[in-house]
Amino acid sequence: MVIDLDRCTGCEACVVACHSENNIGMSTPEEAARGRVNHWIRIDRYYEGQFPDIKVKYRPVLCQHCDEAPCEPVCPVNATYHNPEGLNVQVYNRCVGTFYCANNCPYTVRSFNWFDPKWPEPMQLQHNPDVSIRPGGVMEKCTFCIQRIKRVEDQADAAGRPVADGEVQPACVQSCPAEAMIFGDLNDPDSKVSRLAGDGRATKLMEELGTKPKVVYLEKAR
Amino acid sequence: MKHLFLLLLSVALVVPCLRADQPILFPHSTHINKVHLKCIDCHISADTRDAATIPGVRKCMLCHAKIAADKPEIKKLAAIAASGREIPWQRVYGFEKAAAVKFRHGPHARHKVACATCHGDMPNAITAQPLVKHNMGTCISCHRQNNASDDCATCHY
Repeated sequence: MVIDLDRCTGCEACVVACHSENNIGMSTPEEAARGRVNHWIRIDRYYEGQFPDIKVKYRPVLCQHCDEAPCEPVCPVNATYHNPEGLNVQVYNRCVGTFYCANNCPYTVRSFNWFDPKWPEPMQLQHNPDVSIRPGGVMEKCTFCIQRIKRVEDQADAAGRPVADGEVQPACVQSCPAEAMIFGDLNDPDSKVSRLAGDGRATKLMEELGTKPKVVYLEKAR
Repeated sequence: MKHLFLLLLSVALVVPCLRADQPILFPHSTHINKVHLKCIDCHISADTRDAATIPGVRKCMLCHAKIAADKPEIKKLAAIAASGREIPWQRVYGFEKAAAVKFRHGPHARHKVACATCHGDMPNAITAQPLVKHNMGTCISCHRQNNASDDCATCHY
């Protein structure tokens, strides 16, 4: 995935879309104050300068699907691992909730269900049937909307053609009004993401840790 | 003694087929063997979509408004149709919520997995009933035999 920070307006449409697509539970203000929020994607804000002469920069942070993911080797039950497609996936029914992965994630993008998830009425009626609802005690994280990836692969397989570039759109990408997020196959050198990842503006978040993140941020050097 | 054994055996074989915990004693056998319906004539999206789907009562009434309308089970059906409700079928197959499994019929049908592989001998069954036990072992062994993916995230997400 490529995220163009020069386009991002920090509107948080991606956060809402992600919650809605992936049946992510809603925490209360009290729980949030204790750090028990559930988000698979969040918008980090950075302020430059002093009020009123202030500049705000936004950075959507989601699971970076690191090639050398720090969360994976610490899981005692192999609930998180790299699948053959290169996704860092979480197997909910294997997870026993040790929290090691979240503690080891430098991006703090994993969220834990401290309790069974709850939704304010009537939002419990709009669950996505393609995604399971994770019970309490289970860690969860961004899957790059694996249900949508599967659906597109399935349609392509039925039609007997390869998956086209840009055909898979995770909920955040689809909802972004500024078109700041682009999803595609980094292994395909002709894909749009590969092209943008080679852009002069390309950076990766905390790359110096050696995690080899697979989310590329485009940002003009200032 | 031998007769008693045979009696018990026949009871054991017959009773599961007469399980009437479905609201209507829908005979799959009659519809498949006598009317020559195919599975996908009623479970219309079993070959293309995720869910096989159960037909609505209006579909039943397409035929049964006229055919066999005097039989007691069809009268039950007609009463439900007249009430404007759907038949409260009992779910037969399914996964525990905690298993976080997503099964999609479409890809299985496309790769020529016969309905009977997972659903058993429905042509000779009466009401819908779990003829084949579904667990992860059955899924995985079939996947491995047919070189399908055995990656966890293929089904668990």
